[in-house]
Amino acid sequence: MSGIPEPAEFRAEARDWLTGVAKERTAHRHWGRGDDSVAVFENWTEPEERAHTDLTRQWERTRYDQGWGALGWPSEYGGRELPSYYEQLYRAEEAAFEVPRRTEVFPVTQQLVAPAIRIWGTDEQKRRWLPPMLRTDELACQLFSETEAGSDLAGVRTRAVREGDGWVVRGHKVWTSGARVATWGVAVCRTAPDAPRHAGITVLLVRMDAPGVTVRPIRQMTGGASFNEVYLDDVFVPDTDRLGPVGEGWRVTLTVLAAERLDSGGLGLDNAERALDLARHLPRPLTDGEQQQAAGLYVRGLVQRLTGLRVTAALAAGREPGAEASVGKLCATATMRATTDLVQQLLGPRLAADTGEWGTFAWTEHLLGAPGYRIAGGSDEIQRNILAERVLGLPKEPKGERS
Amino acid sequence: MMRLDVDPALLLETEEQRQLRAVLRDVLTAACGPERVREQAASPRGFDRVLWDRLGGEIGVHGLAVPEEYGGAGYTFAELAVALEETGRVLCPAPLLPTVVLAGEALLASGDRRACERWLPGIASGARTATVAGVLHPARVAAERGPGGWLLRGEADFVPDGAGAELLLVAARAPDGTRLFACVPDAATCRRTARRVLDPTRRQAHLRFTGAAAEPVGEPGQVPATAAAVLDAGRAALAAEHVGGSAHALDATLDHVSHRTQFGRAIGSFQAIKHRLADLLVAIEGARSAASYASACLALRRSELPVAASAAAVACTHAYRLATTEYVQLHGGIGFTWEHPAHLYVRRARGDEALFGTGDDQALRLAGLLGLAGRGG
Ligand SMILES: Cc1cc2nc3c(=O)[nH]c(=O)nc-3n(C[C@H](O)[C@H](O)[C@H](O)COP(=O)(O)OP(=O)(O)OC[C@H]3O[C@@H](n4cnc5c(N)ncnc54)[C@H](O)[C@@H]3O)c2cc1C
Repeated sequence: MSGIPEPAEFRAEARDWLTGVAKERTAHRHWGRGDDSVAVFENWTEPEERAHTDLTRQWERTRYDQGWGALGWPSEYGGRELPSYYEQLYRAEEAAFEVPRRTEVFPVTQQLVAPAIRIWGTDEQKRRWLPPMLRTDELACQLFSETEAGSDLAGVRTRAVREGDGWVVRGHKVWTSGARVATWGVAVCRTAPDAPRHAGITVLLVRMDAPGVTVRPIRQMTGGASFNEVYLDDVFVPDTDRLGPVGEGWRVTLTVLAAERLDSGGLGLDNAERALDLARHLPRPLTDGEQQQAAGLYVRGLVQRLTGLRVTAALAAGREPGAEASVGKLCATATMRATTDLVQQLLGPRLAADTGEWGTFAWTEHLLGAPGYRIAGGSDEIQRNILAERVLGLPKEPKGERS
Repeated sequence: MMRLDVDPALLLETEEQRQLRAVLRDVLTAACGPERVREQAASPRGFDRVLWDRLGGEIGVHGLAVPEEYGGAGYTFAELAVALEETGRVLCPAPLLPTVVLAGEALLASGDRRACERWLPGIASGARTATVAGVLHPARVAAERGPGGWLLRGEADFVPDGAGAELLLVAARAPDGTRLFACVPDAATCRRTARRVLDPTRRQAHLRFTGAAAEPVGEPGQVPATAAAVLDAGRAALAAEHVGGSAHALDATLDHVSHRTQFGRAIGSFQAIKHRLADLLVAIEGARSAASYASACLALRRSELPVAASAAAVACTHAYRLATTEYVQLHGGIGFTWEHPAHLYVRRARGDEALFGTGDDQALRLAGLLGLAGRGG
C-alpha cells in the first residue's frame, strides 16, 4: 500500500477489509439476544482478564499484521504513515463490527505510551519498544498515581536511586489499571528529592516481571478488580529503560496525560446507544418526560461524535484544532452519567433486583462503573481547571505551601 | 447514531466562509454595536435600512443560499449560517431570519417556479422584506376565491416582523385544503398590530386579514411538507444565531472576570467561576458541532435534516440559556442594569424559545423522529 488514499476511499477499503475478518454488528445484534454486558470496567478474575486480553491481542495482531494497525506510524514500526486522523476514520468503521472490546491497557499502550516513546525515546528504544507495543505483544500500564499524589501528580514519592548502570526503584503505586496483564510499567519516579517538585522527576519503564514488583488487585466499587496496587521493592531498572532525560520526567508525564485527555472523547458512546435501544424496545409507552430524557441522551451522543469529527477534520486540513479538542472527556463523562439516569428511569425495579431478564440488571455494571471515568485520567474537576486556564486563559488559582 | 455518515470536512469552516465571517465581523462591529442595536430596534421600522442594503447588496448575504436562477449567488445554507452566526452574535435587529430563511425556504420548498421567479429575486437582493404566517404558530386564516382572485380573511398571531414585512407567505384554509398564499399587505385589508415584545430586536405582530388579495403558492395539500421544511430551516438558522449569541456571552464574560478584582484577586481566578465557564465552553462547543451538522444537512438536502435540525435546536437552546444566564450572573450588579447589553441576550434567548419552541419541545419532537417511545404507545 503506498500513497495516501482519499478519506472516502480509505473508509470503503476499511469496511471491505473488516467485512472479511469480522462480523458486522447490525447483522449480529438482535435485541434481546446475545451478550448484554454494558460493563465500563470488567469484573474479571485474573484468568478471565488474561483470556480476554489474549483475545483482544489476537485481534490487534491481525490488524497490525494486515496493515490496519499502526496506521499513523512510519513503516519501520509497521505502519502506513497515514495522517493521524485516519485512525479515527478507521475506528468509525470498526465501530460497526463485532470486535473484542479493548480494556484500558490497550489504548494506554498504543495511544498513550507508544506516542510518548516516539517523542522522548532514543532510536534504540523506539526500535526495541514500538513495534511490539503497537502489535500489543508488549502491553504497558501507567505507574503514575500514589496514595499521596493523585490529581497533584507532581507530588510522587516513589524513589529511584542511581546505581551502576541503572536505577533502584522503591515505592508504592495505586489504582494501576491493567497491571496484572501489562509487561511494562511506565513509572513516574522522584530522582532528585531536593530539587523543586517538578524538576526532580524521571520516568522509567519497569518490567512488570522484574524481581521486587508485586501486583495486588484492588477491589473497586463494581465488585471486580480492574485496577491494582503495585509495590516496587528495590526493583533494578537498567538506565537504557529510562524514558527521556533525567529530571525531565514531568514533561514526559505531561505528554502521556495530554494524549489521555484527547483519547477519551469516544468513551461512553456504545452504552449510550444501547440505552437508546432500550428506550425503543421497552415494552410500554414512554412518558413525555422519558422521551425528552432519551432524546437528550441522543443529542449528547451525537454532539460528542460530531465534536470528535471536528478535531479529525481540523487535523485533516492541516490546522491546529481549537477548543473542540479539549472538551471530549467532559462530554464523555456527562454522556455516561446521562446514560445511567435514563436507564434508571426506564428499568425501574429491574435495575435493582435481578429478574434474570436480558439487558436489565446488566446495567448495574454501567451504573457502578461510570463514576470511575470521572476520576480516572484527570478528574472532571481537573479537566475544568485545564479548560479554564489553558483554553479560556483564566488566571491560575493561588497554590498552597509545598507545591 | 451507530455510523454517522458525515464527511468530517463538512464540519470545518472553508476558507471562503472564514473570509465572509471576517468581513461581517468588521462591518457589524462598526455598524451594529450595542448602542446602535438599541437605536435601530427603537427606530420606526425596527432596523437600519442602510445596513440592510449593505448586507444584501455589497456583501450579498441575502442571496447566499438562493439559487442563481432566482437571482441568488447559489452558495449553500452553510454560508448563510456563517452570516446568521455573526448577526446573532451582535443581535442585529434586521429581519434576515424571517425574510431569507423562513419566507425564502417557504418559496423554495413550495416548488412553485412562478412564485419563486416573482418573489425570490427581491428577497435575494435585499429589496424586499418578507415573513411567514400560520407556520410557526397555528393561525385562523381562510382563503376564498373572489371575482378578482383569492382573498384572505382571519387572524394570525406571533408573526415575526409581521408589522413591517413587505411580503407575507400565509398558510390559509382554502376550499381545497390548506394552501400557502403570497400577500402584499395593504392597510385597508390587513390590519397589522405590533405586539409589545420581550425581545425588541425581533419584532412580532398580530395580523387581521379582512379580504386581503393573495396569490396561491404551490399546490393544495402541500402545506404540511412546506411547513416542515420551513421549520427545519428555521431550526438550523436559529441554531447558528444561538451559537453566535452564546459565543458573545462567553467572550464578554471572560473579559469581565479577567479584569474585575474582588478579595484581592481577579474574580476569574475563583474556581467556582472557572468551572462554570469551562462548562459553558463545553456546552458551546457542543452547540457549534450540532449547528454545523444541521447546516451541512440542509446545505446538502440530506434526509437526516429533520433529526439534525431538532438535535441542533436542543443543543443550541440549552447552550444559549446557559450562556445568557451566566452572562448576567457573572457580571454582578452591572449585569442586571438596563444599560448593560446582557439582558438583550436574555431577551433574545428566551424570546426565541417562545417563538420557535423550547428545548423540551424540541426534544419531544426529536424523540418522535427517532422512535424513542417504547412499544405499545
Ligand atoms: C477507574 C480508575 C482507573 C485508574 N487507573 C489508573 C492507572 O492506570 N494509573 C494511574 O497511575 N492512576 C490511575 N487512576 C488514578 C487516577 O488518576 C486518580 O485517582 C486521579 O488522578 C485522582 O487522584 P486521587 O484519587 O488521589 O484523588 P484526589 O486528587 O485526592 O481528588 C479528590 C477529589 O478532589 C478533587 N480535586 C483535586 N484537586 C483539585 C483541584 N485542584 N481543584 C478542584 N478539585 C480538585 C478531585 O477532582 C476529586 O474529586 C485510576 C483511577 C480510577 C478511578
